[in-house]
Amino acid sequence: MAERGKERKPAPGRAAGKAPGDGARGNGARDDFETYCRDAFNPAKAFSKPEVLKGFRVLSCTQYILGPSCASYLGELGAEVIKIELPKRGEPMRHTTPYNEPFLYPLSKQIPERGTGLGFYGANFNEYFLSLDFHKPEAKGIMQKLAAKADVMVENYRPGTFDRWGIGYRQLSEMNPRLVYAWLGGFGGWGPGRFRASYDILGQAQGGAFGMTGIPQEFGGTPAKHTIWLADYWGGMMVALQILAALRYRDQVSGRGTMIEYSQVHGVTRQLEYALPLYGRYGVVRQRWGNWDTQLCVHGVIKCGKSSYPGSKNPQEAEEGYIVISAYTDEDFAKLCQAAGLQSLAGKFKTHAERVKAESQVEIYQALEQWAKDKTKEDVARILDGAGINTQPVWNAKEVSEHPHWRERGSLQWIDDPYYGDVFAQGPAYHLSETPPRLKWTMRPVGADTEFVLGKLLGMSRQQIRTLEAAEVI
Amino acid sequence: MAKESKPAPAPPPWPAVPIPTPEQVYAGVSEQAKEYNLFLESILRQEKNFDKPENLDGLRVLDCTTSMTIGHWCSSQLAELGAETIQVEPPGGDPLRKLVPFGRQEYMFKDTVVGEEVGPHFLHEMRNKQSVTLNLEKPEGREVLKQLAVHADVLIENAPPGQWDRWGIGYRQLSQINPRLVYCWVGQRGQWGPLRDKRGMLDPIAQASCGFIHGTGTPREMGGSPTRSAMWVADHVGGTAAAIGILAAVLHRDGVSGKGQFVEAAGAEGIMRILDYNWAWYGMDGSIRPRYGNWDLAINIYAVNPCKDGYMMVGGGHDRLWYRIWRTVGKDRPDVEQDIVSDPKLREVTERLGHEAQVKTYTMLCEWMKDTTRGEAEKALLAEEVASGGVTYIDEVAEYPHFKYRGHVAVHNDQLYGDLLYGTTPFLQYRCPGRLKWMGRPVGFDNEDVYMRLLGLRRPDLDRLGKAGVI
Amino acid sequence: MASWSLVLICEKCQSKNFLDPYAFWNFKGRTKCAGCDQIYEIALANGQAVQPPRMSAGTVDLLPGFAESKDYKPLSGPGKTRPGPKPREDLLCKPKPIRQSIRGKPVSGRPLKPEELVGSRARFIVEATPRS
Repeated sequence: MAERGKERKPAPGRAAGKAPGDGARGNGARDDFETYCRDAFNPAKAFSKPEVLKGFRVLSCTQYILGPSCASYLGELGAEVIKIELPKRGEPMRHTTPYNEPFLYPLSKQIPERGTGLGFYGANFNEYFLSLDFHKPEAKGIMQKLAAKADVMVENYRPGTFDRWGIGYRQLSEMNPRLVYAWLGGFGGWGPGRFRASYDILGQAQGGAFGMTGIPQEFGGTPAKHTIWLADYWGGMMVALQILAALRYRDQVSGRGTMIEYSQVHGVTRQLEYALPLYGRYGVVRQRWGNWDTQLCVHGVIKCGKSSYPGSKNPQEAEEGYIVISAYTDEDFAKLCQAAGLQSLAGKFKTHAERVKAESQVEIYQALEQWAKDKTKEDVARILDGAGINTQPVWNAKEVSEHPHWRERGSLQWIDDPYYGDVFAQGPAYHLSETPPRLKWTMRPVGADTEFVLGKLLGMSRQQIRTLEAAEVI
Repeated sequence: MAKESKPAPAPPPWPAVPIPTPEQVYAGVSEQAKEYNLFLESILRQEKNFDKPENLDGLRVLDCTTSMTIGHWCSSQLAELGAETIQVEPPGGDPLRKLVPFGRQEYMFKDTVVGEEVGPHFLHEMRNKQSVTLNLEKPEGREVLKQLAVHADVLIENAPPGQWDRWGIGYRQLSQINPRLVYCWVGQRGQWGPLRDKRGMLDPIAQASCGFIHGTGTPREMGGSPTRSAMWVADHVGGTAAAIGILAAVLHRDGVSGKGQFVEAAGAEGIMRILDYNWAWYGMDGSIRPRYGNWDLAINIYAVNPCKDGYMMVGGGHDRLWYRIWRTVGKDRPDVEQDIVSDPKLREVTERLGHEAQVKTYTMLCEWMKDTTRGEAEKALLAEEVASGGVTYIDEVAEYPHFKYRGHVAVHNDQLYGDLLYGTTPFLQYRCPGRLKWMGRPVGFDNEDVYMRLLGLRRPDLDRLGKAGVI
Repeated sequence: MASWSLVLICEKCQSKNFLDPYAFWNFKGRTKCAGCDQIYEIALANGQAVQPPRMSAGTVDLLPGFAESKDYKPLSGPGKTRPGPKPREDLLCKPKPIRQSIRGKPVSGRPLKPEELVGSRARFIVEATPRS
């Protein structure tokens, strides 16, 4: 089965392109690995390479982050993603932005005086934007015609809503048996909690990750939210992964699509590490352990007493520094104690088994913080890096944004966005040497591509589109 | 070490409360109202998983990563989706096997065949994988790896950057032996660039280097500090990204090119991709996103705050939900609802996003929640269709009726490790669902199977390799 | 355990002082009414007030996160309330018109008039785009 693809001809344009680094291949040279990687993964060359999902069409009837981000990851791989949202004002996430400050304008051609908030940004890369009011009778026919030409449909309305509207999995899969239909949401459409709505933070709270993260109560702390909309953005990744697997099966084996149901609380519960087996076997309830690590020591975050930017007026830069120190092997721990002048600790905690005990960790980290009290995080990094210890300062958004490492790798990039101009954005989460995922544009106003999509896929005339506009269908 | 072990406590019963039956779950619901729910159950229930095929059947993955979760997480996802996954470990096993919280040896897990101890963290991500041992420090071990690579579709490694290339088993060399091979390197910050990984770098390095830790935790203005995730979360996100990259490469190979490629995923970049609006905001006016603890800079109400018996999440970003939340509060505390709806400063959705508005909102919400338990608050808010729920701890997660009913949490009676409570795969699907076959293996448990089946080695060969410290 | 209100209504001036739970998490000490500077002693444990506020004297340890008069007029400001976390010194907390990115190139970050549009795009973005 795996051999099946072998006989196929390369895609047009592909044969001509030489794979990066082909010339260097096989010589096993020692010093040029960095050079080789820089060439193989060069973000500047992404657009001269083919795309994996060329020719795949994805419909995204989604709001907030979980569903949209899933479709967006497929868009990074080259799928033609059509995001469908309510006319004029679009989906709710367009109206969220930090502290009500930054917006990108216009929100839509009808409402140019308002903008799209940055909450929307990052979850809707590389998409086309079609506006459609699902509550209007004409919407059903349009959706069915679009779905007939789609490979994937992603939606996150309340379970059963699309089914009731005649555009759910049961109806669409009958018209298009090859359709991979993914529903993403909080709790799923069956079971005692089927009525419950969810958000990222609720997924984190109810799934168990929230209660394990944060400074312990004994140290005056509270459970903590992961700053990012983690259960959403990462949940979207999990579904994108599953969609790729389903497309492989469809195209290699069955010729048929499928239905996926992803519950974000389920996703969170999946990633609790040892917590569930430990509880199940021994009845131990995993607790918060703050900035340290329950399984490795030294392997945690400590506070450094001095700010790195004492003259800055930005409150974020006025804050004291923090740094990850990682020296869990006996050898590294000895080096750490030597470098920090804490030889007594080295004598006291000779083995990892001794260091990793809770009481030992308290003593060790407090001693390290005492040592770092008169230092910036860069001071600590310099001293310990010099001693051969792994460290990583806790960087803020500016420090990350300005670091050449991320720019060179394309993890962060300035792009000339066709709609919004000069914007700074994150690149894809992984690299491929031959068919790299890529960022083409960030987002677009509500309905920006309505005419394009309806013309291209439904053959609609100017007159038909004006009629739909007048009826507020689009 | 084992001598110091205290006797392990007796396991708690699970489920302590019986799993709800369909009759209980759908009691009093009309046929029409439950028709769609029952349709979903009929196509998605996990009991039927093994009646169905697997998405990645026939795909063979060699996971050669050690000491770090990113590769194990990545291969776990592929294994749950049906890939035949072989964990390649150094003789003696992956060092992660020895990890257990606070070094408490009494919380190790033992298999019934070899009687070898393994920590629950490693075990939970060893699902559906076979274990072979191979010493890549030795030239002969590398030769064995080259032979294994001939039979693999996917290979994942996390050695220090360039290590495998220098050893002659990197992408450049293996892609000549097997041009169809999808070769993936995983790590924390990357294998190239000024910050390329150093030996021994593990997860919180990625969390700190991408801005995640700086942004998580109580703000300094409220007496807090940057906070890491309890989990090796960058490994989970980066590992998921790696799996996407791998499957994309497999799709391209099988559908178009017939050739594999070089894949790279770093935990830090996985998180950076999903760090909300951090980069766009910085690019617009130099804003450095501050921590905002259990509140949200971009949405109000959307937060966790203390309540009578713990912590309670309440969410509703737009107007309709805003008034429903306060109406719920008003049933017990009409004075609080009255104050909020009378406040002209809180009329516009976007004007509720300022810090002062958030302070007032949540302090007022606490007026109600301080006398309300998580359960009471959830019930009252659910009646108004408001998303809400308590911060739940592991024992509560394990017993949550919805999770038990749907099998998010389940007990697996493992052939080697006995009854294990675990987090099941979230890959629910109609045609080819993800699934658990077994939870783990002792070190090198499958040496005979894999080396005999794939390489045609025989017992004397294995003995010789074992004595030479190669496997 | 009885839990008291986190809204300190000043006995003297009736101002509402909001003792936001995370900032006052395990606080025991003095705070100050933003309306009339009256000092109060308060005590919280894990975000819950464990005693009613008591009028007191002396220096203030921690200011309320926000305060307002009985008729909803803000009483916030330096020396009265504690500022929140800021991404920049000059935080506005309202839509901020932005014309250029931090590296000085045009970005569509300000409200537009209908006549400034070409389709769904700002004209100045369309025209600044180099054409080939």
